[in-house]
Amino acid sequence: MSNTPLIRFADVSKVYHLESGDFTALNQISLEIDDNEFVAIMGPSGSGKSTMMNQLGILDVPTSGELFISGRNVASLTALERTHMRRDTIGYIFQKFYLIPLLSAYENVEYPLILKYKKRDESGKATAMLSAVGFDEAMSAHRPTQLSGGQQQRVAIARALVNDPKILLCDEPTGNLDRKTGHQIMDILCGLHDKGKTVIIVTHDPKIAEYANRTIILEDGSIAA
Amino acid sequence: MKDIFFDLSVRSVRLNFLRSLLASIGIVIGVVAISSMGMLGTNMQLQVKDQLSSGADTIVITNDAVRMGPPGSSSSSSSSSSTGITKTQLSKIKLAAGTTSKIVPIYSTNTEFTLLSTPGRSSVYGIDPDDITKFLTISNGTNIEGVNDALVGSTIATTFNLKIGSRIKIGKDTDESRPVVKVVGILAARGMSSDNVNTDNAIVVSNDWYTNQYGGKDVYSQVNVIVKDISTITDVETAIDTKLNTDEKKPAVRISDASSRISSITSSLSSITTFILAIGGISLLVAATSIFNVMMMSVNERIQEIGILLSIGTEKGEVRRMFLYEAVILGILGAGIGGIGSLVIGYSVVSYMIGTTKYFFLPESILYIPIGMVFGLMVCILSGVYPAWRASNMDPIDALRSE
Repeated sequence: MSNTPLIRFADVSKVYHLESGDFTALNQISLEIDDNEFVAIMGPSGSGKSTMMNQLGILDVPTSGELFISGRNVASLTALERTHMRRDTIGYIFQKFYLIPLLSAYENVEYPLILKYKKRDESGKATAMLSAVGFDEAMSAHRPTQLSGGQQQRVAIARALVNDPKILLCDEPTGNLDRKTGHQIMDILCGLHDKGKTVIIVTHDPKIAEYANRTIILEDGSIAA
Repeated sequence: MKDIFFDLSVRSVRLNFLRSLLASIGIVIGVVAISSMGMLGTNMQLQVKDQLSSGADTIVITNDAVRMGPPGSSSSSSSSSSTGITKTQLSKIKLAAGTTSKIVPIYSTNTEFTLLSTPGRSSVYGIDPDDITKFLTISNGTNIEGVNDALVGSTIATTFNLKIGSRIKIGKDTDESRPVVKVVGILAARGMSSDNVNTDNAIVVSNDWYTNQYGGKDVYSQVNVIVKDISTITDVETAIDTKLNTDEKKPAVRISDASSRISSITSSLSSITTFILAIGGISLLVAATSIFNVMMMSVNERIQEIGILLSIGTEKGEVRRMFLYEAVILGILGAGIGGIGSLVIGYSVVSYMIGTTKYFFLPESILYIPIGMVFGLMVCILSGVYPAWRASNMDPIDALRSE
């Protein structure tokens, strides 16, 4: 295994320029996350968790400092390269599931494959991924509005995994689920970690954080612990 | 392979079908307006060309100084002019045109008349009876034989219910000693003729009767030269021009043939067609606003969806494509219905306005339907460009936060 960490924050700051003045959401964060780690990020509201997830998801770039993902400096990538990195390297699981409402469960999972290979999936990968999260063919044809919260999150996990990304980013993945379903989802994520994925999870729930090998606590944009 | 972005666009249109359909109606109206107006204009041009082409073998020689009115000065019914084609000029024309061409000197004026107690107004042509059948067709009755005999055009005959034997008082109602002519024949309809002899709404009398009434003997309003071989028309025109217009700076006569008159009239009709097409185009502009509005609504309603697409690795170009597809679908819907509508409405308009649909299916006429459809589609696509651009350039973080 290479010594280079999968993710490296080097003095990363993120400052939002608001009408009321500048707001520092991340303050000179330095952090390394290795391949196949399971990391939980915790902290109160406004501590910078979402900003950090946006940086990790390459939805945003640092105001200062450098963020390296898979050895590449995110800020030096073109917009298209960042898009491709989001598509190929990162799987994003959201609290609100964020499935595409006009597509069926199957099509939602197939969608990242179409983005990557520019053609409909003929390999059966989307079906296999849905099957892995407990979806049969009949369920796969349902639209997101016809599914329960737990089912939607399973589809979201399948979608995040279908392009075989190195990193799974989970933003409060159990936040909209009951406790039992939440633990079922966490069991799936643990299984993925066991299979070699790097899982980074943002949560308020200490019980959920217990699934992780390492917990990072943010406070006022800085790492408190 | 079915494109997922096209699928998404189709589903979005289906989801808001009524709204999409209403927006497309603007395009339908625009396409129908452009196509129908274009076809109407073209059918008018084709009809006029057709009518004028019947006199394609005729050269018309006039004197620019001639004004409407009898060439003599003894007229009691209208204004006069002192010049026309003189006897000397006529001789030169005959000489230049050669023996194979038919030469028809014509007097003409406008006059009032009364039929029983019904007043009217029409053109009066004075033509040698032997020349009449060289270029006019008598559909009913006979040619002029007596001094007071007259032929009437088909329109005036229908309007005033003229029959063989009807008598027409020529001149103003106040004139006590008005001459009377007797209708001996009715001329076949000519429509708009290129030889400047529009007989449908006219009375044709003998040249002798005309000069007796209006004077101006041997000073003709125009001289028509009908060439035997149409391929020689330019040579004959040149010969006449050389013979008569010896002073280049001040030509004595104006010489024209059907092609120049067709060109002049179709040019005017073409301008009118362009103008009415522009009016049709305005409705497409209105439609463009409607499509733009619907597209912006679609983008605004799907901000979060756009955020999802962008955050999971959709390229900006793919998001743009998805919204442009939606505009294309609206365009195809509108242009398709508009195309069918144009066929039906255009046919009805042409039939009603021109009275014939014999030119409707000719390529130059029917071409306006695909032209209108392409314009409609282009307007839709252009209306979708900004909303698509806006969607693709959204910040995925802001878009995801949107509810």
